Amino acid sequence: MSRVLYDEATRVYPGTERPAVDALDLDIHDGEFLVLVGPSGCGKSTSLRMLAGLERVDGGRIAIGDRDVTHLAPRDRDIAMVFQNYALYPHMSVADNMGFALRVMKAPKEEIDRRVKEAAGLLDLTEFLDRKPKALSGGQRQRVAMGRAIVREPKVFLMDEPLSNLDAKLRVQTRTQIAALQRRLGVTTVYVTHDQVEAMTMGDRVAVLKDGVLQQVDTPLRLYQHPANVFVAGFIGSPSMNLAEYPVEGDEAVLDDTRVRLSRETIQALKEEGGDRVILGFRPEGVEVVGEGTPGSFPVTVTVVEELGSDAFLYGQYADTTDPVRLGQTVIARVDPNMPPAKGERVRLRILPGKERLFSVVSGRRLPA
Amino acid sequence: MSTSMTPPASPMPPETLPGEATRPPVTAAPRGEAQSPLEDSSRRTRWLVTLLIVVALLWTLVPLVWMLMSSFKNAEAVTAATPQFFFSPTLDNYRNLFSGANNLGPYIVHSVLAAGISALLAVGLGALAGYGLARTHMRGKKHLAFWIISTRMAPIAAVVVPLFLIFRGLGLIDSIPGLILAYLTFNLPFAIWLMSAFFAEVPSSLEESALVAGCSRWQAFWMVILPLTKSGLVTTFILCLVFAWNDYAFAVVFSGPSSQTLPIAASQLVTQTGIDWGQLTAIGTIVVVPMMLAGLAVRRWLVTGLTLGAITGE
Ligand SMILES: Nc1ncnc2c1ncn2[C@@H]1O[C@H](COP(=O)(O)OP(=O)(O)O)[C@@H](O)[C@H]1O
Ligand SMILES: [Mg+2]
Repeated sequence: MSRVLYDEATRVYPGTERPAVDALDLDIHDGEFLVLVGPSGCGKSTSLRMLAGLERVDGGRIAIGDRDVTHLAPRDRDIAMVFQNYALYPHMSVADNMGFALRVMKAPKEEIDRRVKEAAGLLDLTEFLDRKPKALSGGQRQRVAMGRAIVREPKVFLMDEPLSNLDAKLRVQTRTQIAALQRRLGVTTVYVTHDQVEAMTMGDRVAVLKDGVLQQVDTPLRLYQHPANVFVAGFIGSPSMNLAEYPVEGDEAVLDDTRVRLSRETIQALKEEGGDRVILGFRPEGVEVVGEGTPGSFPVTVTVVEELGSDAFLYGQYADTTDPVRLGQTVIARVDPNMPPAKGERVRLRILPGKERLFSVVSGRRLPA
Repeated sequence: MSTSMTPPASPMPPETLPGEATRPPVTAAPRGEAQSPLEDSSRRTRWLVTLLIVVALLWTLVPLVWMLMSSFKNAEAVTAATPQFFFSPTLDNYRNLFSGANNLGPYIVHSVLAAGISALLAVGLGALAGYGLARTHMRGKKHLAFWIISTRMAPIAAVVVPLFLIFRGLGLIDSIPGLILAYLTFNLPFAIWLMSAFFAEVPSSLEESALVAGCSRWQAFWMVILPLTKSGLVTTFILCLVFAWNDYAFAVVFSGPSSQTLPIAASQLVTQTGIDWGQLTAIGTIVVVPMMLAGLAVRRWLVTGLTLGAITGE
C-alpha cells in the first residue's frame, strides 16, 4: 500500500511533436481508488504505462511510496496490472496464471497454492483453477486477470479499461464488485476508463484528461457540481450538460427573449478578459418546465422525448433564436416522467436558481459565480 | 510483389482453418427427401474438390511410390521396358549402397550433422533475431525485414563464389562446420523472417504482463513468449532442415571427401559408364523418407504453424 505521485510527468512518443502526456501532476493517496478518465487518445493508457514502467518518462518523475521509480524496470516497482485484453497466458492453467508472479519470485510452492486458492475463493474461480483461459467465458477471464493481480499483493493496482470487453450488464455488475474488492483490500488503485459513468461510480476521486493535459481531479460529486472548465462540464454527466454561448448586455446574459442576471464577480471576470459573450451551462435536471410568460424562461421546441420509466428526458431546439451559434443546438431537460411533453410541442424552460454554470468563451474556464 | 515486405500474418484461430470455414455442412439430407438446389450444387462442389485432391495426390505420390518400388527391384526389373508392378522384392540395392569402397554411411552422417545443426542454429538465432525484429519500433523496420528476406531470395550462384573465397581463406572447405555455415546463409534469413511473423502474432501485452509480474526481458521471452510459438519453432526447424538436407549446390562446391552429403552420393552414381537406377532410387528413398516421417511426426504443429495465428486462443 502506497501513495503514488506523478510530478510533471511527461511522455513524448518518438516521431511526434505533442506530448501524449503533458506535465501530469497527480497525488494519489495511500489506499485510494483513483480513476483516470477522458476521451479515447487523451493519454490515459500512456499515463498508466508510465507508472508501470512500460513507457519511458521523458520529463518529470514518478514515485511509489517514498521511492522514485521514474527509471526503474517494471519488475522492480511492485505493482500489478490488469490489461484491457487481460493478457492471460494461454499455455498456462488458471492456477498457473494466477500464481505466475509468485513463481517468478520463487515463493515457496505451498504459499503460492494458498494464495492462489484464497484469491480464487474471493473471485468464485475455485472450480476453474485447472482450466486453460481458452475454456473460460469473458467474465471468468476478466476475474482471472483480477485474481492474478490480487495474488501478487502489490503496492499498487493498475487497471487499463478492464471492463471494456464485457457486455453491458456484466460490466455494471463487475464494476461494483471491483470497487468493493478494492475497498476491502485497501490497495492503492489507478483505474483507466473512457466511460465517465464507470469513473463516477467507482472512483474515490476522478482525474479528467484531455489531449494529454490534466483538466481536473476531484471527487465524483464535486466534478459533477463544480466542473473546472467547459470540457469537464460537458464530459461528466449523462445526459450531458447543456452548454451554449450567449451575448452579454450590461450585467445580464441574453437568452433570446429573456435575460439572466450575472453576478458582479462574473461581470468583473468577463471585463478582465474583454469578452462580450459567455458560455452558460445547465444540467438537464437544472431546469424546469414553466408556463408562458414566466420571467427568465426561454422557449424550446421538443424534438424527442426519451422515457426511461423513472425518468424522462426532453430533447429540443431553441425556438425563436436568431443567434446563429445556438441555431440547431440541442437542449436536454429532465421532465416529469408522468406527464412528459409531446413531440413537436413548444415548452418554456427556466433554469433553477443557482443551477447555472458560467464559463469563459476565451479560455473555457469556469467564471466565478 | 510489393517492395515493403511485412511478414505474413493472418489472425486465423485454429478452429477455423481456411478449408474448414468454407466447407459445406457434412450432414446429408435424409434419404427420400427431395434435394434442394442448394444442396445439389454444394454436392457438386464437393465432388469437384475430391477430384482435384485425387489428381494432386496422384501427381505427387506416383513418382514417390515408383521410386520406392524401384528401390526394391533387381536390375532387370528396374529397367524392364514394360513397367513391372509385381516383382519379388530384394534389398540388394540397399546392401550395395552400404558395402564396398563407397559406403553410404559417412554421407548420411554428414547430411544429418550439416542439415541438423544448421537447422537448429537457424531456429535458435532466428528466434532471437525474429523476436527483436517483431518488437522493435525503430524506423526502417520494414526495410530491414525486407532486406533480410531478400538475402534468402538471392540466387545461390551469386553467393557461392564469394563464399568459396571466404571459406578457403578460413580453411572451411571440405568441413562440416563449413557446410553448416553455408546453409545458415539461406536458413538464417528465412528463420528470422518466419519467426518474426510468429512473434508479431503474440500480443505484446503478454510480455508486458510478464514484465510487470517480475520477469526480466529474457524470462518473459523464455517463460511466456517462446512456449506460445512452439508451432512456429517446429515449422521453422522442419523447413530449414528440409532446405539444408536437399541442398546440392553448396555441397558440390564446398564439400570434399570428408564432408560429402547424400545428394552428392546420388550424383556420383550417375557415372560415365551408366546409371545404376536401382541404387539411385534407393538413395532417393533414403533422402526422402526421413523428411516425410519428420513432417508426419509434427504434422499437428505444421498445420497450425503454416497458417500462423492461433496463438492467443481467443
Ligand atoms: N507507441 C506509440 N507511438 C506513438 N504515439 C502513440 C503511441 N501510443 C499511443 N500514442 C498516441 O498517444 C496518444 C495517447 O494514447 P493513449 O495513452 O493510448 O490514449 P488513451 O489510452 O487515452 O486512449 C494518442 O494520440 C496516441 O495516438
Ligand atoms: Mg487506452
